[in-house]
Amino acid sequence: MPEQGNRSIFSGERVGLLIALAVLSAVPLFIENRAIVEIIILANIYAVYVASWDILCGYTGQVSFGHALFVGGGAYTAALLNFYFKFPPWMTIFFGGGVAALFGLIIGTPCLRLRGPYFALATFAAAAFPYGLTDVFWEVTGGLDGLYGIAPIWPTLMGKYYFSVLLTAVCCGLVYLGGRSKKGLILKSIREDEVAAMASGVNTTAYKLTTFVISGFLAGVAGAFYSHNQLHVGPETLSINLSILVIIMSVVGGIGTITGPIAGAYLLTIFNEMMREWEEVRLLIYTAAVVLILLFVPKGVLPTLSDGIKQWIKRKGG
Amino acid sequence: MGIILETQELTKYFGGLGAVRKVSFFLNEGEMLGMIGPNGAGKTTLFNLITGFLKPTGGNISFRGRRITGLKPHEIVRRGIARTFQLVRPFHQLTALENVIISCLSPREGGGEKKNGGVEEKAGRLLGNVGLSGKEGMLAKDLPHGDLKRLDLARALATEPQVLLLDEPFAGLGLMEISSLSPLIRKLSQEGHSIIIIEHKLREMMKLVARVITLNFGEKIADGTPEEISRDEKVIQAYLGKGGMTLATG
Amino acid sequence: MNIFLEIIVYGAVQSSIYALLAMGFCLIFGVANIVNLAHTALYMIGAYLIYTFFSVLQLNLAMAILLSVVSVALLATGMYRFCIRPVMVSEWSVLMITISLAMFFQQLMIFVYGPADRNVEGFIGKKLTLFGAVDIDAQRLLTLGVSLVLLVLLWLFIYRTRMGKAILAVAQDREAALFMGINSERVYLTVIAISAVLAAVAGAFIAPTIGARPEMWAPTLGKIFAVVVLGGIGSLEGTILAALLIGYLEVVISFSISSYFGEIVSVVVILLMLSFRPSGLLGKRIEA
Repeated sequence: MPEQGNRSIFSGERVGLLIALAVLSAVPLFIENRAIVEIIILANIYAVYVASWDILCGYTGQVSFGHALFVGGGAYTAALLNFYFKFPPWMTIFFGGGVAALFGLIIGTPCLRLRGPYFALATFAAAAFPYGLTDVFWEVTGGLDGLYGIAPIWPTLMGKYYFSVLLTAVCCGLVYLGGRSKKGLILKSIREDEVAAMASGVNTTAYKLTTFVISGFLAGVAGAFYSHNQLHVGPETLSINLSILVIIMSVVGGIGTITGPIAGAYLLTIFNEMMREWEEVRLLIYTAAVVLILLFVPKGVLPTLSDGIKQWIKRKGG
Repeated sequence: MGIILETQELTKYFGGLGAVRKVSFFLNEGEMLGMIGPNGAGKTTLFNLITGFLKPTGGNISFRGRRITGLKPHEIVRRGIARTFQLVRPFHQLTALENVIISCLSPREGGGEKKNGGVEEKAGRLLGNVGLSGKEGMLAKDLPHGDLKRLDLARALATEPQVLLLDEPFAGLGLMEISSLSPLIRKLSQEGHSIIIIEHKLREMMKLVARVITLNFGEKIADGTPEEISRDEKVIQAYLGKGGMTLATG
Repeated sequence: MNIFLEIIVYGAVQSSIYALLAMGFCLIFGVANIVNLAHTALYMIGAYLIYTFFSVLQLNLAMAILLSVVSVALLATGMYRFCIRPVMVSEWSVLMITISLAMFFQQLMIFVYGPADRNVEGFIGKKLTLFGAVDIDAQRLLTLGVSLVLLVLLWLFIYRTRMGKAILAVAQDREAALFMGINSERVYLTVIAISAVLAAVAGAFIAPTIGARPEMWAPTLGKIFAVVVLGGIGSLEGTILAALLIGYLEVVISFSISSYFGEIVSVVVILLMLSFRPSGLLGKRIEA
């Protein structure tokens, strides 16, 4: 089971989140640089990817290596509906989420009973399958290049930005509230000891499947949003690289806390973009950093930091 | 006072190994029944069968006259049968209170809708009942073994069971801890719960129960009062081999 | 007739590579309970090293092979000692760190060699004519031959030597093996080194045929998974059988339908097997 960070103080956490939301909303009013705004839009989208991953994997302990299946499923559904049938973005986004949720149902039913590495393996394979399909049916999907000319969410940057904030506020908000609720507690009990949870009257199969489907829906919605943001869809949305990126962001941020992975998403997206200058070594440093973090800060950067701060406060006070 | 739980020729084979072989027994409502037998006799397997963690190879289980064979564990809990485990299984990263809350959240068959608001109170009360008040906020992994055994009881009770299956409640406990836990179990019986206890600490257990069944190699070999059992030749042989001495009941 | 023979040979080569890789993977998992997602990255590094030593530095072939294999073995043991062992208690951490290492190696290859394919000349630059009808390049046959030899050697090692028996003992029951005085750490290191050697040889010998690419570890990892899932963990015979099945299935489908579909074969196999028979054809049960 991935290491769990300590729980935060609730009220402090909520205040922090509201402040973050306020800051996010204020960004385009104060920042002129288009590129930075685009980066934050991307980070908003990634935040939904990781939050939807964490509610299943961080909470129930079933680590999925195929989250890209949901993201890409949503992205391609939206793009295909828009490109061939001219569906408007708000419609495609819901269909994207729906298709991804369906994938969750189809994959989850046989696979959720598998133990640790086998579940990871199965989800990895499940994501690899449509990835291969985009190649096979390249006339429809545009193959490796993907499809260009997808309709934007909103013509202006500001409008697009605020929609992304809405996306992240609603989706991450839902996941956050769910995680902190009694249902979230039940998910954690499944992670701690599924047998004991069953003996406590929890229908673990139903919980896991429902969470998997919800996780899929949200990721699919975000993936669809991504298509309309980039005006393009490509197989990178279905790739193992994306699945692993999501996991890395969550691990770095602190698995099982929702807020940790979200922070991880923002941190790493911004870090990633900042390093664009050193293009050749960027990914090399990135992946090396991940290995080091896994070795030396296994609980995740945020939980370790917050533990450290708490220790520091204790020592000052005592 | 009728029969609340019974098995009919319950059988479980693992490949060629007969862990439980045509075991038929019953538990009366309000009764406290002991289950003994050497290691590997099939006692825990029997519990696992009754609580739905294992599917029987043959035979049936009935609760209040209705078949429960083949139901999933959470469904059996919801009907009113709760269990504890031989080796405690707390949710380590959750607090004691949260551990109990989990069990409070399962809907009971035939019961009313649970109001989430009252759940913390109920869990707190249960912790108090088993002697863990003041420890609600402690993480389970920080609790000593004796407290974990009590926590297990609280968790089982939180599902509002009619039948309690306790698997070695005294395991790993010292005499003092046992003598403070024992009256708690007796009180549960007096409050109307029907209880089956698996135990190896025979002396302590025999003081609590009115009847004992004995398993050996997956079969039921004896069923009677503690005094009868302690004199039963088959039981003595099962534990001590041929030519064994009288089992002290103290 | 030609196509038929080609399929037979190509399928055999493909299967033998998968067998080498899957055996190594299963060994590590069966013995040390480590799911090493960086296993095929070692295969990739083997391919790049043979390129470096043979094509770039123009070393003598035997020397190049030896250096490549030894380097990969050393790298693998270092990886185990410094990255895997510290986190071994948690299955999940091992998954995470090995996949991160694989990605790191990929970036390292891009950094050192650039993103384009690297080509390696065949070790024997000839084409042989088999059965008077088919032209097969010697490199493929050589690969097949070497793989078979290695697999036989592996079998002999496991079943006929003391260390091999120790490995079997640890795989069956770690604690009991400890009680019998078997040094499990030494067994782990041996197994890691052996798997690394198998992977490096596979990479080195297949490099002239398919070239060295920084992404080559990922799809291959998926195929090894398929082999392992199909064959079942804990069964060496199952692994060989599965490698044959998947190797041939891929080749047949690539020839008859398209190479794209050939790639998906392994994924479909994984999904089907895990859904309906997670223990594989011949392995132990692995459900929760």
